[in-house]
Amino acid sequence: MKPFNPRAVELAAPKQQRNWDWRAAANFICGGAGGSLLFCAAFAGLDLSATRIAVFLGLALIGCGLTCVWFEIGRPWRAMNVYRHFATSWMTREAVVALVVFATGGLALLTGSKLLLILSGACGLGFLYSQARILAANKGIPSWRHPASVPLMISTGLAEGAGFIVGIAAVFSSDPGNTLLFVLLALLAVRAWCWRRYLAGLTATGAPVAALKVLESLGPRFHTFGNGLPAVAVVAMLVGLPGRSLMSLLAGMLVVASGWFLKYTLVRRAAFTQGLAVNHLPVRGRGPSGPAAKPGWKMMPGGNRG
Amino acid sequence: MEAAQPKSVKRVPSYCYNCVSGPDLMNVKVVDGVATEIEPNFAAADVHPAKGRVCVKAYGLVQKTYNPNRISTPMKRTNPKKGRNEDPGFVPISWDEALDIVAGKLKAVRAKGLLDEAGLPRVAVSLGHGGTPSNYMGTFPAFLAAWGDVDFSFGSGQGVKCVHSEHLYGEFWHRGFTVASDTPNARYVIAVGANVDVTGGPCAVTRHADARVRGYKRVQVEPHLTATGACSAEWVPIRPKTDPAFLFALIHVLVRENGLEKLDIPFLRDRTASPYLIAPDGLYLRDPQSGKPLVWDENTSSAVVHDTPGAKPAVAGCYRVGKAVVVDADKERREYSDVEGKTAYEMLSEHIEKYSPEWAESICDVKAETIRRIANEYLEAASIGETIVIDGKTLPLRPVSVTLGKSVNNGWGAFECCWARTVLAALVGSLENPGGLVGTTVRLNKSRDNRHLSVAPGEDGFMVQYFNPTSKEEWQQSPSTRNLHQTLVPIVGANGAWSQALGPTQLAWMFQNERPDDWNMPMPTLPEVWLVYRSNPSISFWDTRHLAEIAAKFPFMACFAYTVDETNYMADVLLPEATDLESTQMIRMGGTKYMEQFWDHKGVVLRAKAVEPQGEARDFTWITTELARRTGLLEPYVKAINKGISGVSPLKGEGYDFRLDPATPPESEQVWDAVCRAATLSLSEGREEHDLKWFEENGFYTVPMSRLEWYLTPTMERHGLRYELPYQERLMRAGRELGRRLHEKKMNWWDEQLSEYTALPEWHDVPGRWIRNLEKTGAKAADFPFWLLTTKSMQYHAGGNAAIEVMHEVAQNMRGHAGVIMNAKTAASLGIAEGDRIEVRSHIGATYGKAALVQGVRPDTLVIIGQFDHWATPFAKTMEAPSLNSIAPMSLDLTDATGSGADIVRVAVRKIEEAKAA
Amino acid sequence: MTRYVMTIDLRRCVGCQTCTAACKGANATPPGIQWRRVLDIESGEFPDVRRTFLPVACMHCGDPPCEHVCPTRATTKRADGLVAIDYDLCIGCANCVMACPYDARSIVHEPRYAYGDAPMASEAARFDPARIGVSMKCTFCKDRIDHAERTGLVPGVDPEVTPACVNSCISGAMGFGNIEDPQSSVSQLLADTQHFRMHEELGTEPGVYYVWDKS
Repeated sequence: MKPFNPRAVELAAPKQQRNWDWRAAANFICGGAGGSLLFCAAFAGLDLSATRIAVFLGLALIGCGLTCVWFEIGRPWRAMNVYRHFATSWMTREAVVALVVFATGGLALLTGSKLLLILSGACGLGFLYSQARILAANKGIPSWRHPASVPLMISTGLAEGAGFIVGIAAVFSSDPGNTLLFVLLALLAVRAWCWRRYLAGLTATGAPVAALKVLESLGPRFHTFGNGLPAVAVVAMLVGLPGRSLMSLLAGMLVVASGWFLKYTLVRRAAFTQGLAVNHLPVRGRGPSGPAAKPGWKMMPGGNRG
Repeated sequence: MEAAQPKSVKRVPSYCYNCVSGPDLMNVKVVDGVATEIEPNFAAADVHPAKGRVCVKAYGLVQKTYNPNRISTPMKRTNPKKGRNEDPGFVPISWDEALDIVAGKLKAVRAKGLLDEAGLPRVAVSLGHGGTPSNYMGTFPAFLAAWGDVDFSFGSGQGVKCVHSEHLYGEFWHRGFTVASDTPNARYVIAVGANVDVTGGPCAVTRHADARVRGYKRVQVEPHLTATGACSAEWVPIRPKTDPAFLFALIHVLVRENGLEKLDIPFLRDRTASPYLIAPDGLYLRDPQSGKPLVWDENTSSAVVHDTPGAKPAVAGCYRVGKAVVVDADKERREYSDVEGKTAYEMLSEHIEKYSPEWAESICDVKAETIRRIANEYLEAASIGETIVIDGKTLPLRPVSVTLGKSVNNGWGAFECCWARTVLAALVGSLENPGGLVGTTVRLNKSRDNRHLSVAPGEDGFMVQYFNPTSKEEWQQSPSTRNLHQTLVPIVGANGAWSQALGPTQLAWMFQNERPDDWNMPMPTLPEVWLVYRSNPSISFWDTRHLAEIAAKFPFMACFAYTVDETNYMADVLLPEATDLESTQMIRMGGTKYMEQFWDHKGVVLRAKAVEPQGEARDFTWITTELARRTGLLEPYVKAINKGISGVSPLKGEGYDFRLDPATPPESEQVWDAVCRAATLSLSEGREEHDLKWFEENGFYTVPMSRLEWYLTPTMERHGLRYELPYQERLMRAGRELGRRLHEKKMNWWDEQLSEYTALPEWHDVPGRWIRNLEKTGAKAADFPFWLLTTKSMQYHAGGNAAIEVMHEVAQNMRGHAGVIMNAKTAASLGIAEGDRIEVRSHIGATYGKAALVQGVRPDTLVIIGQFDHWATPFAKTMEAPSLNSIAPMSLDLTDATGSGADIVRVAVRKIEEAKAA
Repeated sequence: MTRYVMTIDLRRCVGCQTCTAACKGANATPPGIQWRRVLDIESGEFPDVRRTFLPVACMHCGDPPCEHVCPTRATTKRADGLVAIDYDLCIGCANCVMACPYDARSIVHEPRYAYGDAPMASEAARFDPARIGVSMKCTFCKDRIDHAERTGLVPGVDPEVTPACVNSCISGAMGFGNIEDPQSSVSQLLADTQHFRMHEELGTEPGVYYVWDKS
């Protein structure tokens, strides 16, 4: 972490978080996609070699994310202490789930067992869920702690997993099949809805102005390139336009890339802290008191608190 | 927390006196011989008004001790050329060599004579802010006393850049070298620029916080919303330097709109010169026989001398007097018969009629209704008639005051402000009465430790005053100091080093280079030896770049040096003294001292050596003794110590004699042990004696003091004396005489200053003086559309601590540090955003800093905190902090009659670089 | 029952940063790291402007979100209300930094000194390698509170067992003590005044009370 010497005027206002850099973001980016890919691989009905590739890729993504985090934490050689707080810490739970994911996923990779595949898929979903909850448990970051961030993280994870499967199918298998395409289409719709719900929810409950600005500017691009374009491609495939393989690959890549960009934005660029506030300006001698001051926030109508 | 278990932990009691608002008490935590922390000294909680606490500056003293940028050995210059662009080439030398060099120069001076061909001292000494150096320089004052004539003309922190007019006029009117509200009893304070929550030290901060919780009202009148303004009940953003108009309007509301019957008539009648009858020519009507001023006795309906027993002088009105005389300048007497005399109050009432709130509104940019409301609130809060019992004595309780801040009470307009606020106190009887306006110390009169002892009957029923003479016979026509204090400033007196140091310092600098055409006095010379301690005028004075060039011409300069700085960059020898935590000294504390340091106790406090000095740094007393020995001044030096000149008490008193042998160089411990014993015996009136060892354990010793000592009025009453208010006949005469003397010598360059000597101050477009000054240089006023002011911060105020990293770090939490504070709307109109690097340019130069945008400053005003723009001081020079001092001119036009200027200049501003993302 | 809390009387605070500096000294925090500081908050528009000085630090929450998220149980809430960090358990994952809505925590990954790369004697004497790479914050001067436990001294009354910031405060803005004791100075002050806790709506049950007016 670089020394951070904010100016006095910035101290009370929400600040972009500086402790989780690209390495932490990579864990959410890769881990969520990886967990979801394992889940999708278990049910996509791809042939064994493509399934194996998907599982391998899923595990690799999770491993890559966790490695990045390992490089970020202050005391990497004590990393095993992460298992000490299963009762309430979603980070502990994520780490536990990760162990099971690697165990089941590894065995599934080796044996090709359907049961292990399903188990690893379930664990992958669990991993995705844990990550969503890690973010949401952080009360210090209003754009994370909003309850709608959980379905958003899960929905984008699932869409990314499905995007990967469609891409893998296009490259390593003959055809993704219409069912898979319908599922992807549905997941894109769900993700778009979750995003809308999240942003609307966040705006309604209040968030740092700077965070809302970042998120609001993300919306149109995310919808266009992340949901709209892939959906058009999927529909084009479904109605039988030519170039199905290439379109599958492109659609999958767009879904994944947009999800990753969304998560990067969420974890880094839109991650503004709560900031500090004063509920009542104090009375100085015989002077008046004053209304609340909450720098960096738009005051919510009807109250001092936001 | 500590990493490893320490072997020894001790707490060494000490004090912090880094600014004038000290001393405050503290402990130094020492772990295995290393100072690690500063802590409050709660053993003093019951005697110290701030309960044994020190302010933020003290918490930088650990870093100050171990700062790797310290000068750790004596050094000498190897580059004979001096200048900002000349590397001094300092090389380490031994103490022997360093002291021999300095003593050699001093001995050479003694051989030639202490005064040079121009009659000026060959040795000049500069000490920093407000006398604080004397709390760290051990026995050096005894050395200076032993030396003889010294020129303090080049002093920097003290004097003209301080609250100068308050020092001079405050002491003149009510022995208030520094003036404060009696905060523990206050109910209403109008603070005109007084930034007391920043500069008043822990005692003031504690007391004002208590007062806020108690429900007092403080109105802050200032162009910028300071921390003190923030903590006030109301902020009045007045146009810079128009404060006299605001205060005149307050007087108008009291005198013209409320009238005498609502004011404190007994106080005005008995304790002020309000009843003195004024002749049509503006002089006091006097009794032809005794020469005493006359008053109109309502009992006998006749004019009688002011001190007639049983008389009831009329405060207001015009009366016909049969026979009287007036005494003008140079004792010229004129006789009057059947003349109309108006009381001084009547003169005030007529004088102030034109200064209505409506008149002030257009000048001050403060609504007339606001001014009127504040005046009426002030009058109501004065609760005239209320009393309080203090130590069995019933005194008036008048819990209102007007306090003034720096640049309000120095430079043009300051005389008017000081007068107006003292008159405001007198009108309601709050001058030197409980709850009201109190002076807290004296420096131009003696005794420094008890201002009541300075009160003695003088002329005309007033306190004795020691003006510099302006009579034909006695006027000093050939200056004895380079700042001409005795020649030009009658009121500053000649009562020791403080009078000198409060002379017009900028004249000493300015006249080294060029003098007025009609300069008909000996040409000022350079001092042959300049000694500097805790002073950095190349940063802290005005036109600092130019000043540094002048300093570079001084032939020999020795500096007691903490780090290299912008002043000692020109030095020939650097002497590293043991700093705050490394050396021993005893000083007085409590009683009544600067600012709001008025206590219920008085006593002494020891700064015990907490840790060994770093490098070759040496205890100041050791250095001084060596200098005395090597210059052959050992005997007078030790005798001066014996007389108590280096602090606290004479070493011989009733029932004790700890005098040191003048033939033997005393060890530092020996000196302070004797001082400890003498001080405790003297304070306890022989009951208790404590030695150095006791103080190293216990830190301080006090005895109780009556609160009656806070107030001068009972003392005045005891002497039957009056405050010389509201009419300034004596000043007017002094000004006339001074004018005659100067004109007799065909000198007219001080004429503008002579205009300040008026009996009743007039408004004279104070801000316009700065505009005219820049126009005179050929610049266009329209090109410099903003006012630039300074403000202080507690982290840096007077601390000489710009090299301390932690101060910079914590100061950054407050808006504007190391930047230029400007109004956000103004900035937007100029395309300037928060953090943009901007240029602030006056007609003499530019300074640079980051824009700090706030709402709490007038749109026409910029503010720079503190004094920075360092280019030599380690660490500080990396801060890239701007400074008003770099671009504020030194000018005769901007020098008032007391010789002071103000921290204000007209500027232009422009963006030079976008803010970088954090 | 004991629940130590801090009271900060905003009517008194002048923003002087004495507590900030005292804390840095007492806890030997490296440059740039402040376990507490006083914020300078401006509100309104010229000429109706207010400036408020707001001391902030760890709020020693009754329901600390940092404790919930900590995967190592390095952060724990003690029975006396202090939220503590065991530097030997912490892995420096920064999850707690994100969970804290008060900007109270920080992690330093390499030693830092006031003047360049080498420590001064005062820094060297107090350098604690255990604090590198782990989460840090205001401890309410935990060692002093523990000392009170051993000696029977009373935090908030006896300076030896009172947090350094409270001891240092020259405006008398800060108080410390056991809110469960109705006779403690903090309980009495809170009974007589109007006050708030910051971001209370987040359910953190902060242990710092800001006084803004008499009741």
